[in-house]
Amino acid sequence: MMNMKRLGTILLVVSVVLILVTVYLAIFFAPLPQTSVESADQIMSAEVGARLHVAGFVSVVYSRGGNAVLDSPEHVVFSIADFRDYGRFLQANNSNNLDQQWWTVRPIDVDSISGGLRSSTGPSVGYKIIPGANLSVEGVVSSQHIAPNSNVTGFSLDSNSGNDITFGPVGAFGIMTAPVAQKIFYFHMPSAWACYLSFGVTLVGSALFLKTRDQKYDRVAFSSAEIGIVFATIAITTGPVWAKQEWGVYWRWDDMKLVTTFVLWLVYIGYLTLRAAIAEPSTKARVSAVYGILSFITVPMSLLSSRIAPLLQSSHPQVIASSSGGLSPQAGLTVGIAVAAFTFLFITMLIKRVEIAEAEDELEELKRRIGEEE
Amino acid sequence: MRAALTIAAKDLRVELRSKEMLSAMFLFSLLIVLAFRFAFSSAVSAGTVGLTELAASALWICFSFAAILGMYTSFAKEKDRETLEGLMLAPVDRSELYLGKVLSTLVTVFFVDLLSITFFGLFFSFDYSGQVLAVVSLALLGSVTLVLVGTLVAAISVNTRAQEVLLPILLIPLIAFSVIVPSVTATKNAMASGIGDSIQQIESIAAFAAIFAVIGYLTFDFVLEG
Repeated sequence: MMNMKRLGTILLVVSVVLILVTVYLAIFFAPLPQTSVESADQIMSAEVGARLHVAGFVSVVYSRGGNAVLDSPEHVVFSIADFRDYGRFLQANNSNNLDQQWWTVRPIDVDSISGGLRSSTGPSVGYKIIPGANLSVEGVVSSQHIAPNSNVTGFSLDSNSGNDITFGPVGAFGIMTAPVAQKIFYFHMPSAWACYLSFGVTLVGSALFLKTRDQKYDRVAFSSAEIGIVFATIAITTGPVWAKQEWGVYWRWDDMKLVTTFVLWLVYIGYLTLRAAIAEPSTKARVSAVYGILSFITVPMSLLSSRIAPLLQSSHPQVIASSSGGLSPQAGLTVGIAVAAFTFLFITMLIKRVEIAEAEDELEELKRRIGEEE
Repeated sequence: MRAALTIAAKDLRVELRSKEMLSAMFLFSLLIVLAFRFAFSSAVSAGTVGLTELAASALWICFSFAAILGMYTSFAKEKDRETLEGLMLAPVDRSELYLGKVLSTLVTVFFVDLLSITFFGLFFSFDYSGQVLAVVSLALLGSVTLVLVGTLVAAISVNTRAQEVLLPILLIPLIAFSVIVPSVTATKNAMASGIGDSIQQIESIAAFAAIFAVIGYLTFDFVLEG
């Protein structure tokens, strides 16, 4: 018992230190996802025939399939546009005609593309551009289409050759234009990870409770669910802060990652509501364990949703595995420490919450015994 | 499996005699479709809302809520009449009980689905672009998934104090992406271009049906204990 308490204190210190380190690294160490074009003006002022190099962190992919594959670099047109206003973008995209009233479009013939991810299935020249990848494009300005509104916030790549910009099979990419907002990623992604971990612990705790009928597993299961909801809330609220800067909107109901995570949050709120609605402790533990197992189905849905495209469309950046190439070593280190910090924080909170639950149960037991004596 | 069929037959026989649930669900689906008719009345006459879009969404809202009503009553009735104990005392596997309840609820829910499809066609003078059969089969598929997870959640919520309120709170988030979203998309596609365009959605609904069936079959035992 004493050892458990000491372990809890040590873990608390470790996680607080790690969180502080994460804050420090995120602010001072992790690089900003730079676009190598300083400003839109630089592109605007480039003459026809000038060489331009544009690089950046892909923040959003607007194409029907969710991911876009560049098949043939020679036929790619690079253009610049206002990606902030998603509604307008769709309108222009649907009519397959970029309205120059709203769009500042200046195509560059591209002769080299690097970064992104090589498509595993596509042709050898194929690059699969996914949100979160680093993209670098070099080319010669071939023509200029200048529209009155020059609010340039993004870039697009298109498979059509020639000067007329229409959206072909490749689709368009917005390159990250609000680099500072990306810092929130070091807290957003680890808290999402911690929430998936918590709900995983709830699943295991629930299953073990049903198997052994030991109350301690029930305490672990619901404590973990409570903490998971806290982390899920952090993830759901930090996401929109970034999205507003990068996508121009707080929330996109057509993005499966966002909506499935919201549903995940609702399901576990339901889990706690269910517990609150049952008075009898053993029924509470038994019935909520079944719901705790059933609820877990929403975790893989949320976790994998940005990857099951095109059935489920998503512009949410992919982080784990597939786009590790998109992160610089410094950013990778910061994310790694942040994930460790949130994991330790989760373990600390879980131990404390379980201790509280134990104390509550003990109190109930004592109350019951006093009642019997009287 | 024989026990499950016996339980389902018993439920359906009770239902055919009392017609309690069926009449409630009949009126319920009639009123939901009517509510949509009134709510969209000016939009429909002005032609500003696509009937295919509206049909797919309205039908699935109707199916889901009618099913929630049906699944809730299927357990609440047993609890009220104290016949749940009798069922639990029966010398059969609890998983059979689950299957039996799923079967009997599915029959009633599917019947109400058919009624809703008819009402919608009547009130909106809509012929489902000649794809009635596709709409009906998708209704059946979606209802199977819905009832498989709903029966388990209904059995969970019957243990609680706030029974009626809790079932939708616990169930709707779970069916949002497993049933409602793919079913609405598939139904819409079916009316626009036949059922062939929705293989992915159909696979997804069927996969969720399999997952829910396994979870329900394995855990139902624990829900109805004590």
